[in-house]
Parts: sequence; C-alpha cells; structure tokens
Amino acid sequence: MLRTETYTVNFGPQHPATHGVFRVMLNLDGERIVKAEPVCGYLHRGVEKLAENRTYQQVIPYTDRLDYLAAGLQNQGYVETIEKLMEIEVPDRAEYLRIITAELSRIASHVLFVGVYALDIGAFTGFLLCFRERERILDLMEELTGSRMTYSYARIGGVAADAPEGWLDRVEKVVNDLPYYFDIYDDLISGNEIFQARTKYVGYLSAESAVDYSLSGPTLRGSGIDYDLRKAKPYSIYDRFNFEVPLGENGDCFDRYFCRILEMRQSVYILQQAIEQIRETDGPIMAKVPKVLKPPKGEAYHEIESSKGILGYYVVSDGSNKPYRVHVRRPSFVNLGFLDEMCRGGLVADLVAILGSIDIVLGEVDC
Amino acid sequence: MFGKGLVKGLNVTWKEFWSKKFTVQYPDEQHTKPPRFHGKFQLNSDACIACGLCANACPNGVIKIESEKVNKKKYLTKYVMNIQYCLFCGMCVEACNKGALRFTQEHDMSQYFYKDIPLVFVDREAPKPDPETENKEKDDDKSKKAGKAPEKEGQ
Amino acid sequence: MLETIFIDIANWIRNLLGSAGVPALWNDTVMMLVKLTAIIVFILINALWLVYMERKVAGYMQARIGPNRVGPKGLLQTTADIGKLISKEIIIPKNVDKILFLLAPVLIFVPPLTIFSVIPFGKNMMAIDLNIGLFFVFAIASLSTLIFWIGGWSSYNKYSLLGSMRVISQMVSYELPMMLALLGVIMIVGSLNLSEIILAQESAWFIISQPIAFLIFFIAAVAECNRVPFDLMEGESEIIAGPYTEYSGMGFAMFFLAEYANIMIASAMTTVLFLGGWLAPFGLTFIPSWLWFFVKMYVVIFVFMWLRWTYPRVRIDQLLGFGWKVLVPLSLANIFVTGIGMYIYRALGW
Repeated sequence: MLRTETYTVNFGPQHPATHGVFRVMLNLDGERIVKAEPVCGYLHRGVEKLAENRTYQQVIPYTDRLDYLAAGLQNQGYVETIEKLMEIEVPDRAEYLRIITAELSRIASHVLFVGVYALDIGAFTGFLLCFRERERILDLMEELTGSRMTYSYARIGGVAADAPEGWLDRVEKVVNDLPYYFDIYDDLISGNEIFQARTKYVGYLSAESAVDYSLSGPTLRGSGIDYDLRKAKPYSIYDRFNFEVPLGENGDCFDRYFCRILEMRQSVYILQQAIEQIRETDGPIMAKVPKVLKPPKGEAYHEIESSKGILGYYVVSDGSNKPYRVHVRRPSFVNLGFLDEMCRGGLVADLVAILGSIDIVLGEVDC
Repeated sequence: MFGKGLVKGLNVTWKEFWSKKFTVQYPDEQHTKPPRFHGKFQLNSDACIACGLCANACPNGVIKIESEKVNKKKYLTKYVMNIQYCLFCGMCVEACNKGALRFTQEHDMSQYFYKDIPLVFVDREAPKPDPETENKEKDDDKSKKAGKAPEKEGQ
Repeated sequence: MLETIFIDIANWIRNLLGSAGVPALWNDTVMMLVKLTAIIVFILINALWLVYMERKVAGYMQARIGPNRVGPKGLLQTTADIGKLISKEIIIPKNVDKILFLLAPVLIFVPPLTIFSVIPFGKNMMAIDLNIGLFFVFAIASLSTLIFWIGGWSSYNKYSLLGSMRVISQMVSYELPMMLALLGVIMIVGSLNLSEIILAQESAWFIISQPIAFLIFFIAAVAECNRVPFDLMEGESEIIAGPYTEYSGMGFAMFFLAEYANIMIASAMTTVLFLGGWLAPFGLTFIPSWLWFFVKMYVVIFVFMWLRWTYPRVRIDQLLGFGWKVLVPLSLANIFVTGIGMYIYRALGW
C-alpha cells in the first residue's frame, strides 16, 4: 500500500503573504495542512518595557508603533486609559477630533486590508487601487498631524493641535467620495466569483469558539456575534452617533472580509455626523492638565474598538511621573490564537486566505 | 448569473486603463507638504535659552544640550540631535516655549556616512572663555556620552 | 510588395546561393538555418517587448504609468533588466542536483522555438509546412511541463517541489479539454495542416462557428501558460515563486522570457485556429497578411494581460475540478454537437 509522509514547511518569517515577519510552521500532507503552528516574536521591541522608562506623555509615540496602520486608534486607546486613571474631563472639540482621526484611521486600515487581502488571493490590481484611496486619507492626516502613519496626535487631556483652516471641508469631500470607491472594490474584488470561490466556506469559525477564544473585531463579528465596543459599551462620545454594526453569517473568510467593507461604510456615516457636529462645537482642545503628570496610585484598564478588534490598555501607576507597568491587549495577537484550528484540513492556499482574513499587523502581534 | 462578477471586474480595469494616472514622478515632481509636516528640524539658536525642555520631552533621548553660565544667563554651547533615534513625534517642538525649535518641510535627511547623520545645530564656544577648563569639560562630557549609548529601538 | 516582403527576401537569398553554385542540399540547409535564426530573433525581441508591454499594461490598469526611465518611454527597461540579470552571479544552492538544475533554464526555450517553426505568420510564411502541424504543436508544447518539473525537482526546495507538482497536475488536466475542444475544428476542416485550417476560415472565423470550443481553448491556453487566474505554479503569495524559487541571475531570466514565449505561442495558436490567422477581415487586404496576424496576436495577448491584472488566483482543487468537471464534459458535448451539425449540414446538401 502507498504510504504518504507529512513534511514540515516553514512558512515565513520571510514570506510575501505573512504581512511582515511572522512564521507558521506547517505540517503538510501533500498540499493539505495537518498542523499550523504560529511562531511570533520576530518583531518584538519591548514596547511595554520601554514604556516603564518614559513619562506618561512620552509613551504616546510608542503606541503609534504597535498597529502602525491605524495609529489614531492606538493613541486614543492609550490616552483614554490615562484620562480614566486621572479622571480628566476632555473638551468636546478634542473628543470630536479624536473620533475623526480614529475613524479615518479605521478606514485607512480597512482599505489597506481589502487591498492586501486581494493581493493574498492573487489580484494585484485591487492592492494598488486600494492604496490610491488610502493615500488620500493619509494626506489628510498629514495635514492635521504632520505625519502620514505615526500620528502621535492624541494627548493626555486633548489633542495636539486643532484642525487647520478648511481641513474639515477636505475631510468631508474625501469622506463623501469614499463610498464610490467601495463600490469599485465590490465590483473588482468582492463580486468576483473566483474571489468568492477562494474565500467562501474557507476558514470556518463558529460563533461559540470565537467567543471561547476571546476573538474580537471583524473576526468575531464575521461569525455573527454582535459585539462592537462602540455600541456595546460606548466610550468617548460614540453614543452621540447613529450607526449599525455589520455582521457576517457564515463565519468564513468572505464574511470577515465583507464585514470590513460594510464597517468602512458605517465609518463614513459616523464621520459625516462627526463633521456636522464638530462645526457647531467650539472651545478648547486641551483640558487643563499639569505639565508633569503624576497620576494617583492605582490602576486603570480601558478598552476601545480598534480596527483589528478590542484594544485594551492596562496601566499601573505608582504615583511617580512614569508608569509602573503598561500592558497592551493586542487584538491581532489574540485573534491569531485560532489560526491552527481554522487551517487544519485546508490547503496551503487556504492558509494565506485565512491568515489574511484575520488582518494581523506584526507590530501589534509582537508588540 | 455566474460570470457577472468576472465581467464587472474586467470593466473596472478597462476603465482604469484609460483614466488618469496617480503617479507622482518623485525626484522631478514632489508633493506639496503641509505646513505641519514633520520634516527636518530647525533651531533658531538666538531664541533658544537652553532650558532643556525639549530634551526632557523627547521619548528617546535624541536631543543633547550643553550650556554654560555667562553673566548669570545660560549660554547654549552645543545642541545636537541624534536624528537616527528620532521618532518624529513632535514632542520637542511642542515643548519649546520660545518657538526656537521648528519643523521644516525638508524630508531628505539621509546621509552617506553614519557620522553625518546627527543634526548639529550649535557647536560653539561661550563668549567669555577660559580655554583650558572648557576644553577639559568638553572632553569629560564626551567620555561620559561614549559610555552611555542611547537606547535603540528595532524596527 | 509589402505583402510578400519576407518571402522575397527568402527567395533572394536562395537565388543568391543558387547563382553562387551552392548545391541544392546545402542551399536548403542554409535556408533552414536562416529561417530558424529569424525565428529565434523574432521570439527574443517579442519576449523583450512583451515584458515591457506587460508592465506598462499593469501600470495603466493600476493607476500608475509603469516603466518610464530607461530609454525613451522606458522602452529599454527590459534590456536593462536582462543586462543586470546576466551580470549577476548564478547561485547554486547546496544539495541541488547540479546538472538538472542548470539544464532546466537552458532547455526551457526549446519547445517554443520548435513550435514557432510551423506557425504560419502570413500567407505562405512558415518555416516548415507540416501536414500534421497542429498535432506537432501540441505534442511539443506539453514538453515544457517536463522542464518545469526538472527545475522544481532539482532545486531541493519544498516550495519548488510544490510548484512543480502543481504544474504537472495542471498541465495534465488542461491538455485534455484543449485537445478535445480542437477536435471540433479539426472535424470541420478535415486536416491537421495549419495553413488549411486558416484557409477554411475564409467565409467565417471559427470563433463564430465554434464559440464553445473557442472559450474552452482560451481558458485552457491561459492555464497552459500558467497565467492568472491559473498561475498556481508561481502563486507568489503561497509558494513564493514555485519552481523558480532557487533560480537567480540568467537562470531566472530564461524562465521569465520563456513564459512570454509561451504566451506568444498560445495567442498565435488562438489566432490561427479561431481568429482566421493571417486572413484579412472585411476585405481589408491592402494591409499585408503578416501584419494582420500580428495585430490579432497582440489583441489576444492584451486579453491575456487584461485577465492577469484583474483576476485573483484559483485554488488547486478548484482548478482541477473546473478542468475535469466543467471543461472536459463541455468539450465532449461540443464534439457531439459539431458532429450532429455537420451531419445535418451534409444531409441538407448545402
């Protein structure tokens, strides 16, 4: 009788489809995956440890470097944690500016995801067309914050600078243009039968196991669980906006992908409301905070809905001007936990589709 | 019907084929950079009072300041930014009370040699010098610095 | 004049040699060498141009402008790339089967060159007029599978092995529907000679009378060339570069150029079999026949590129399933329908 043997393939750390330096040790039987063991840590920089030697404000630029594709959300998560610790009331205008940067970051991150996912599946054109729209958002962010990706915009108690003259109009224009491009993605990528054949019923993730593994973000919602922190536990001023939480049905790669497309449309909706409301909100952009921050002894945990999932910051203060301990709950890292079970029995090509659909950013996985 | 999506996709690329191109041919044409752009730093050494706020605000210890007391006022003798460790977060510019430190729109800071990377804004002697003691002090500082390497951050 | 320019040149050389007193056998040998050299030059120049064209088309479809720095409009980009690749070191990894590893990129150009000797570029313009031309083309074309396999196997790399195994399964399952689809054409023409197949399309191209066969043939041709959406062999996001993974320098360049030579063959065969070869449509005969052939060939090549820069890649099981479950039955049905149609056609006595 013919006997087959499994063999090990090192998928990464240098591999075009791992979105960075991520390694999966694959046990293959022909092209079938027997076992997929993720190995991470190739991009470890010790951000949590670095934070212990920095003052509270100085940690902000490091949070940019976690999920560098949606830095606005990372900044927001960190500063809100410190504000919770110190019980600082943030002015309204600053909150709106934070929401606008956060939602623009979310769209930029998701647009990139759509493009990279198309590239993973093999459609190169989708990748570059998505970059074109992302570029417009980055240009806006550059105008507001001075940086294209690592914004360091939010400050403890407010934001770094007010919106420049006419910036809101430009944001409005871009935001109103975006749905047209989402339609193009639908035509070019989501509507494509080959793309659907590659992603539908691949990498199934049941609702129960998604909860069991504490997955979050679009990866969780793709399985049909309605849990979006912006709705479930409104932080910041998300309770002032009207939006829906898009859900998937099957919990497959396509649902996780399509959830993000729908989420971008909701983000556009939020942005439109936020721009309308910020025009009527005047006032300071910084709360009155002392130059040297010395939060009282204690600890705070705050989580926000990042583009990848639930992003939590846990900060312990010992009363000095430097945090005693900062821990980050990184959604990309937690979401990776289910990779092995999703991949088993699939083909090598499925691994790429599944890994892409989780939407990991290696800066965040390895921290 | 099966195949509708395929035709739609072809239509998208066909339209794209004839539409306007997005490329900016970099060295010839350049994007206009917004006023807030985080580019190369610029120091107005006359406005600088060597207070050290920028050096304190910096998360990475990029800025090194040396000053001397001249007529009971601080006189800036050395201002060096080890730009290779800079995060371009803008904390130092924000911390500056006097508006001495600014960002410019220039973004090209690459150098051929490693030793050329640090931005040396000020490297001068104090107006009322006592040459021997000062040189000695400088040497001392240098040896101190060499012993304490700045923290590195891997990409 | 323009119509017969290449034939005139050939005749001129032949007469020159004849008048110089060269015996007839030697004369024929020299003529054959001249023709083959012309074909090699033709393929290489076209392959260089096609690499440029592909990058330009890709750029234009992705809102970019593509290569535009080397030479006027970037025309010399490929030449520069090839020059760079030639000057690079050929890295031979440890444990590879050295002979086979180096042989594969050399051999990869043999099948395309051989095939081009029977393709009619214009009226009476073919190196060899074989009466089993079609058969010859497909017999030789399947050989390139073996060379990919040689390259992948000898590389001693798991990704290469995966890639070359994919090539084998892909070629086996797509050669079959391709040949079956062509049977419809062969039945109508009653000959395997490529010139006769072209002449049989005088009244109507086979794309009109055999649309299903055309579709099957085209899909299978895309698969045979390992182009998107069937580029599983390379699949850069899955298996890096398939059989090419370990190749560097000129070895890689040979594979790269051979890919374009294969595209030329696929589009030339599509033109010959379904688009009327060098026949001028709408009686536009003032344009030389060989020019018509090139125009049609390049239209088909453009469609190849258009597909590549639009579609994602299929998965290996879907690819095989599509070949065996859709294309093979469809092509069998096509043969059946063609047979019945021909029978009715004859019974009506038109």
